[in-house]
Amino acid sequence: MTSPANERLARPLRRRAPNAAWPRALVGAAMLMAAFATASARFGWPRPAAWVVPLVAYVVGLALVWSPLDLASVEDARRPEVVIGLFARDHWARVVVGIGLAFSAMWWFATWHYTDQPVVRLLMVPPALIAALALLFGPWLVRLARQVRVERSERIREFERAEIAAHLHDSVLQTLTLIRKNSGDPATVAKLARAQERDLRTYLYQDRRTAAESVATALAAAISAVEDAHAVAIEVVSVGDAPTDKHLRAAVAAAKEAATNAAKHGVAPISVYAEVSDDHYQVFVRDSGPGFNPKRIPADRLGIRESIMGRVERHGGFAAVASKRGQSTEVTISVPRRAENGKVAR
Amino acid sequence: MSDRVRVVVVDDHDVIRVGVKQSLGEGVEVVGEGRDVESAIQAIADARPAVVILDVHLPGGMGGGALDVLDVCLKKPDPPRFLALSVSDAAEDVVAVVRAGARGYVTKSISGPELTDAVKRVALGDAVFSPRLAGFVLDAFGAAAGDVAVVDEDLDKLTAREQEVMRLIARGYSYREVGEKLFISIKTVETHVSAVLRKLQLSSRHELAHWAAQRRIV
Repeated sequence: MTSPANERLARPLRRRAPNAAWPRALVGAAMLMAAFATASARFGWPRPAAWVVPLVAYVVGLALVWSPLDLASVEDARRPEVVIGLFARDHWARVVVGIGLAFSAMWWFATWHYTDQPVVRLLMVPPALIAALALLFGPWLVRLARQVRVERSERIREFERAEIAAHLHDSVLQTLTLIRKNSGDPATVAKLARAQERDLRTYLYQDRRTAAESVATALAAAISAVEDAHAVAIEVVSVGDAPTDKHLRAAVAAAKEAATNAAKHGVAPISVYAEVSDDHYQVFVRDSGPGFNPKRIPADRLGIRESIMGRVERHGGFAAVASKRGQSTEVTISVPRRAENGKVAR
Repeated sequence: MSDRVRVVVVDDHDVIRVGVKQSLGEGVEVVGEGRDVESAIQAIADARPAVVILDVHLPGGMGGGALDVLDVCLKKPDPPRFLALSVSDAAEDVVAVVRAGARGYVTKSISGPELTDAVKRVALGDAVFSPRLAGFVLDAFGAAAGDVAVVDEDLDKLTAREQEVMRLIARGYSYREVGEKLFISIKTVETHVSAVLRKLQLSSRHELAHWAAQRRIV
């Protein structure tokens, strides 16, 4: 089981000092280049090739565009939920200047007549421009993808948290309120507490399956209803599991009836044991007394005869009641599985 | 039983400890308490009880709860016997704690007299199986649906008699009633149950705890 993250729900705010060093660095670089140009003219150094200046401009532009991204992705790791578009506001100017530099360099390259053969330029220029664009915007795309991923996992976590909160609200909080209101009535309090305990236990420890998928779940649900209706504790143990078909449903209904009888007439502890085997589904419902003589049930009492035995027999199974005066009572319910299933079209 | 069984109660909830102490009847004496792994180990070392009633989920230690306590205490000479007590119905919790060395497993809904009886039984060296634990054993050893894996080792399967005993316990029979039903003495029932406990603890079959964690039936 994972423990809930022990951090406050709202993350602490964090303010970054604005970083204003880059315009000065840019001016400095421009001045250095100007000084270099002046010096080369003054001392008659060979002129640099025509492409050097645009290349430098492109690299500087690239650096300007990328650097806030790096900062932002470091920040992302710390506060992934912040959707700040692609940039924080104080980075905008730098990005615009960077893109401007890079685009002018690209424009220069696109219009550069380094050869008179149009075919060569036609073959060279588009791939180079595409590569330059990819280099410029690639990091954005990567970051965008990462942001989407982070946001999605955050959304899933948020959803789970909301689920748990909703569950606790609907169950535990309501029950506690009811218990406080009924604090003078021990029977009601015990009943509420038992129901809540069962509910929470299912929530925490069990695979959540529906009654249709799992006959064990269906049986547990049926027996819970009996527990609630008669304010008794019944221990249910299931071995094996199977999807609940109509035969199994009949067996569960019969077991519910047997458990109701046990709750009404029997003495605790009451236990229900169910076992799924290859060819049978068997349920045993047992109480600890006082017992009765099954042969002497009046003909007009339909509980055992109709709701338990009749119901199971219609599905090819059988039910038996073993009881003696002064001793425990055990109802055995058994329905066949595979053999019958073969005949049922489904 | 001539003298009283000395017991240490370990649970991280004060309310439960108080409740357990109150519900323990004649013949059982609480000589120490623990609220987490460390204090439990200390209390057991100090009081040297015969039986420890041990909650499965405990704070502290290496995070393994009762498993940590069992690890440490069972390595020392002349260890006490452990009876696990829990609200958890999860198979992996139950099986893990029994495999770590607990002599029995009961849920917190157990009544006072039953708990007292279980403590005395564990003190005598018998195993205490609640219906639920019996159900898990049957499930794990494949008494039910379709588990017909070929097994070589004796440890890896239950004898027919042991299966019958487990099934009756799962159905809510007391040891005495199991004996009457099967026409055997209560002593024989206890022998069978102890044998099953030993198999549960020693069997390497599919790593039972692992089985418990991902028990899925088609």
